[in-house]
Formats: sequence, C-alpha cells, structure tokens
Amino acid sequence: MKTTNKESILSAANTLRWEIGEHIHDSLVESIYADANQIASRAVTVPTEKPRFNFDKRLDKLITSRWFGFPLMFLLLAIVFWLTVEGANVPSAMIATFLVDTIHPWLKGLFTMVGSPWWLTGLLVDGVWLAMAWVISVMLPPMAIFFPLFTLLEDFGYLPRVAFNMDSLFRKAGAHGKQSLSMTMGFGCNAAGVVATRIIDSPRERLIAIITNNFSLCNGRWPTQILIASIFFGALVPAHLAGFVTAGAVVGVAMLGIFFTLVVSWGLSKTVLKGEASAFSLELPPYRPPQLWQTLYTSLIDRTAIVLWRAIIFAAPAGAVIWLVSNIHIGELSVAEHFINWSNPFGILLGINGVILLAYIIAIPANEIVIPTVLMLTVISTKLTGVGDGAGVMFELDEATAVADVLRAGGWTFLTGLNLMLFSLLHNPCSTTIYTIYKETKSVKWTTVATVIPTVMGLVICFLVAQVWRLITF
Amino acid sequence: MIEPLKALIIFGIVTTLLAIIFLPKYGLYSRWKRNRRGMKRVLVEDALKHIFDCEYKNIFCTTESIAGSLLISTDEAAELLTRLSTMGLLVTLDNGVKLTAEGRSYALRIIRVHRLWERYLADETSVPPTEWHSSAELAEHKLTTAEAEALAAQIGNPNFDPHGDPIPTPSGEIPPKKGHSLLSLNSGEFADITHIEDEPEAVYAQLIAQGLYVGMQVMMIERSNERVRFAADGEEIVLAPLLTNNLTVAPITEEEHRITSPLESLASLKIGEEAKVLSISKAMRGQQRRRLMDLGVIPGTTIRAEMKSASGDPTAYNIKGALVALRQQHANMIFVQK
Repeated sequence: MKTTNKESILSAANTLRWEIGEHIHDSLVESIYADANQIASRAVTVPTEKPRFNFDKRLDKLITSRWFGFPLMFLLLAIVFWLTVEGANVPSAMIATFLVDTIHPWLKGLFTMVGSPWWLTGLLVDGVWLAMAWVISVMLPPMAIFFPLFTLLEDFGYLPRVAFNMDSLFRKAGAHGKQSLSMTMGFGCNAAGVVATRIIDSPRERLIAIITNNFSLCNGRWPTQILIASIFFGALVPAHLAGFVTAGAVVGVAMLGIFFTLVVSWGLSKTVLKGEASAFSLELPPYRPPQLWQTLYTSLIDRTAIVLWRAIIFAAPAGAVIWLVSNIHIGELSVAEHFINWSNPFGILLGINGVILLAYIIAIPANEIVIPTVLMLTVISTKLTGVGDGAGVMFELDEATAVADVLRAGGWTFLTGLNLMLFSLLHNPCSTTIYTIYKETKSVKWTTVATVIPTVMGLVICFLVAQVWRLITF
Repeated sequence: MIEPLKALIIFGIVTTLLAIIFLPKYGLYSRWKRNRRGMKRVLVEDALKHIFDCEYKNIFCTTESIAGSLLISTDEAAELLTRLSTMGLLVTLDNGVKLTAEGRSYALRIIRVHRLWERYLADETSVPPTEWHSSAELAEHKLTTAEAEALAAQIGNPNFDPHGDPIPTPSGEIPPKKGHSLLSLNSGEFADITHIEDEPEAVYAQLIAQGLYVGMQVMMIERSNERVRFAADGEEIVLAPLLTNNLTVAPITEEEHRITSPLESLASLKIGEEAKVLSISKAMRGQQRRRLMDLGVIPGTTIRAEMKSASGDPTAYNIKGALVALRQQHANMIFVQK
C-alpha cells in the first residue's frame, strides 16, 4: 500500500513538473512579497505618507533640468579640478624640497659616513629613495585634496544625479551612467578609479568601466602633459598667448581620453563583452548633509593612503632598476644606452625616441617618475655636461626653458613632444593600476586586455601621427 | 628611417592581413573553428538529435532529411546511418529509421545539454536571442554530463528552454508534444505563445524582431492565405502564414486574464503620474528581471514617475518610497494600469 502511494505521488509530480510552466520563480517572489505585504499591513501602522521633501524636489529639479543640469556639473567639476591643481602646487613643492633637496643629500652623507660602498649608496639612495620621494611628492597632495572633495559631493547625494544625467551618453556607448563617476575618479588616480567601479552593480558595465579607466588622464600624467605642452605648444605662439595654448593642448588631450573611453566602451560592449550579464537600475538617495570628519577619514585612509602605499611599494624596486640600468656597463656603454641605441630606430618610426621607450618601460610603476627618468636618460645618452646629478640619479629642473634645452639637445622636435603627450595618454596602466585591476576582476584575461588595448592604441596612433606629420611637413 | 609613405603602406597591408585572419565570424580563424564541427562524434550526435526530433513530431526521417539538416551529402548520411546502427543506436524499418532505447537516451542527453545551455544564455548572459541556438549547437558537444548537471543546479533546474521546449530530465523523461499552431485559432480566440521554433534561423530572427516571446498573449483577428493578423499583448501584428507555422500556442479560457487593449507601459507615465504594475514582460529576463523584482516591481505595486534626467532618459520612479532610475528600454517592458 505504502509503495504504491509513493509511486503514485512521484508520477503525479512528474506529470505536474511540466504543468507549472517556466516562471515558477517569478510566482514565488510575487507570493513572498504578497505575504510580506499582508503581514506588514497587519503589524505596521504607517503615518500619513509624507511626500518627498520640498527641498529635495526643488534641488532635483534644478540639478536635472535640461538647461542647468550640465553647465552646473561642468562648473562643479571645474572647481574641484582647479582646487586640486592650485591647492597641490605648494605642498607638492614643499614635500619635494624636503624629501629631495634636504633628506636626499643627508642620506647620502650618512651612507658615506658609515663607509657604504658607492654602488650601495647609489642603489638605495639615488635609486630607491629618489623614486619613492618623487612618487610621494607628486601623488600625495593632489590625491589628498581631490578625494575628499569628491567624497563630499558623493556623500551629499550629488554624484548619483550626475550619473543620472550622464546615463544617456554612456548607454549609447554600451556602458553605465555611473561610469561617469569612476571615469572622473580616474582623473585623480586610475587605481582609485578602478576601485570606484565597485559602485557599478552590473557585471558587464563594470568590466567596461575597469578596462577603459586608463583613458582618464591621471594626476601622475597631468604634470608631464603641462610641461611638454608648455615647451612645444606654448613656444609656437607669442608669450602672452602661451599659457592659453598650453592649457588648450592639455585639455584637448584629456578630452581625447574621454572620447577614447566612450569609443572603446562601445567597441567592448559590441564584441568581447557582448555576452556578459547586464542589468540597469540607479538608486538616487535623498540629499544628506555630508559628514565632514568621516569623509576626511575615509577618503584619506581608504583611498589616498592605500593607493599611495601601493605606489610606493611598486616605485621602490623601479628606482633600483632605473639606477642599475644606467650604472651597469657592458663594454663602453651602460645597459640603458645599449637599449636606447637599439630601440631608437623603432622609437623614431613612432615619432618618439629610444629614451622615451625605455623611460616608459622602467617607469611602469608610476607615471610620476617618467619626466625625471626621461631627463636623466637624455643627459647620459647625449653625454651632456653640467646638467643633472649623474648616471641613474633622476632629476627635475625648475625652469621649463632649462628642460626644453635638455630635450632639444636630445633631438626632440614638435612631433616628439606631441607624440609623447599622446603616448602618455595611451599606454599601459601603471603597475599599481594593473595590480588593482587584477584584484578587482580576479581575472588574468581582463587584466591583460586592459593593459594591451591602450598600449597597442598608443603605438598605432603615434605611428600614424608621425607618418602623416612627416608627409605634411616634407 | 623608413619613408613615411612606405611605412603607411606596410601598416595598411599588415592591418588587412590581421583582419582577414582574426575578423569575428568571417575571418579565417573563426572559419577554421567552425569547420572543426565536421568531426565524427559531432555528426553522430547531430544525427541522433535530428532523428529524435522527427520521432517527437511524429514525422518520418529520411536519409535526405538527415543530409539536409547536417549539411552533408546523401552518401555521407547513408554511411552515417550505417555507423549508427552498428553502434546499436538505431534500427532500420521499412518506412525509415527508429532509435533504440540506447539511441533515444543518448539523444535526450544531448538535447538536455542544448536546452540547458539556451536557458543559461537567456537568463545569465546578454547574448542576443538569435545567437542562443548556434551557441548551444557548439556547447552540446563540449559539456560533459557532470558539467551540465552543475550548470542545471546553478540556474535552478529549469524545466523549459527559452523557446518553450521542455528540457528532458536527467533520467530522460520528456512530456509528449502539446499545443497547436497559431493558425488553428479562430478569429477572436485567445491563447498564450508556448513555443517559438528556433530553426530556420532567418524565420526565428524575424519573429524575435516582431517582439514575440514565449509567454506572450495573442488574439487572432483574421487569417487568410496571404496573411495572418493577430494581436500580441494587445498590439496588432501582421505576418505571413509561413512564419506563423513556427509559433505554437495554448488557448486560454479564463475570461479575466484576457488582454483586450494594448497594454500601457511604465514609460508612458508623465512626470507626477501614478500607476499600478500589472506585469513585467516575459521578454525581460535574467538579472534585469530579478533586480526589478528585488526593488519591489511586482504586480500590485504603485509606482510614480518623479523626474526625467537632463538628457531625457532615464527617468526616476518612486518605487516603495525609494527613488530609482530606470532606462526607457526597461520601463517599456513593465506593464501598468493607470
């Protein structure tokens, strides 16, 4: 009796399996909600429902209005960038003076005093210490200003509205409106921008945002852009227009970065990422007064400190490598000079030169040390005298004209400057960012894609610009 | 230094070569990959599937139909059938071939993997509907039984594939074929679409382009030899009779569920207007559907349109007290009653 009963139940279940249809899960969610509603309506009393606060409504109306929405956004972002650039100048110079001009000679003296051999002093003090000093002085002040400002806007509730306004543009590129935020964060630091993509809760759009973040010109690259633009673009026009043209060239490169962000996002969403799962919804939280101290703490500790620490860890060995390649000699020449001579024809083909190629390879940990490395390598490869502090010792010059003299002595032309600016925008992410991408995606494949795409684009675009430029000017 | 013009020409040649080799779909590499499908095991499995399909639909399979469906010559098909019968997978009868119990269970295993994979693509990825079938054609030969079962468990042991076909159980059970062609409906009769046949691909793509999906409600308006006019979720659609052969429907009898006029979507709300959710279109699947339901977009919820973005899309809606922005393409798939 019992077995027949069991069998009949099983066979009934087997027939019914095909009757319930394919949307059993929907029905389950609906019935759970219905039950929850019923329980809530019995147990919870709701005071007469409040409409959304008047203040919120009015502010939303202004922020999302057709005419004021975008100008307001550009104005606020411009203020944030201006505060960052202007505010970072003084502390950056102070830190550089302290770490490079005071501590560096003192350390050198200390090492000599205890009788350390010249190569150990060079490796640790000129290599490791200088690389770290440069990264800290260029990176820390802008980040310490930019991130708290950004976090304040986020806390207040403004940034979700920016994503809301920008979504239409990013939707057309196959991306998520919140990518506008991680992209903007990338202007501060790409590693932080990649971490910021955590706010994007759709797998495909998050990957797109991670892979394209490198197209945002990070604060390690701004100084390079400004310096090279002032030397090669500013010099084209009369002095009173120089500042204007320089700024225009740098903003142009940054805009080009945004353009590439959108184009590459679109390409990725149509090809390799076509099949990744995707879902869109964007919550707009109510406005809140920002919590100043908590913001300062989280943005300084969670964002600035972590990123800076990673950068220092990566910069230290790079400093050692930079010192070593300039000081280990094979035959007459150092390793660096061998590489520069060997890669120069390829560099020239791309409209740059061997020095720049080598600088981008050994300065992979941080874009901040590219210019000091380029200067040092130019000096040793052209055997200039009277400038710099010797082989393997990175340096910077206070006057742009002095930098210009060194670069021109190294054979730089307007094309070299232009292509360096393009290559600075389009090359592999710094190793801190690469590591962060790996940590966030847990995938070697996507990390490789994020590294290779901008590098190949940079090489191809520099190559094309160089050929077209030569065709026109000949 | 190489002359710029020469360099540009060399660059152009290299780029073209790379494109010829690696272009998706048309490149040499993807062609080579596709051609590898001609392997023996793949042919055996595809033939079994085809014969099972014939038996399921109660039609006769011939050597020609196998050759046609597998894109091989009749001679090769005949050879293949001999191979299958020596393997003990089928027996030859007077009027065609018939699968043995072993052959049937082999075929069902392949079909299970095929349909599971289609369900997976529909629910967990953004692969467009027109590519589900071709992707599953590859996956069915690659996935092992253990992998298929792991996949089934991961996506909640579904019973139907996204075209409405039943997925055989691991023990090989499958219900008998049900439902009628859309053409069997008389004017004014209501029915639900239970199945959209995914072969041939061109026809399927046309049906998908019309916005048809499994679970959609249809009402026959009129049919003639030239065209079939019917309402789908209240919107009128006109198709050639040949196309409607690919649609299977099940009549509905309950009066109150009938959709008589075009449904209004959430996207049609003006700012400040309120409406009650009727349903989420079955065409919205996977993560997006789950996300909306988690946010509280379920039948009965009242939603108010609050504001539009500065660029016009998305729109922010008040859902259960939270302000949530939805894109127009998604709001279009949420049906409401004002």
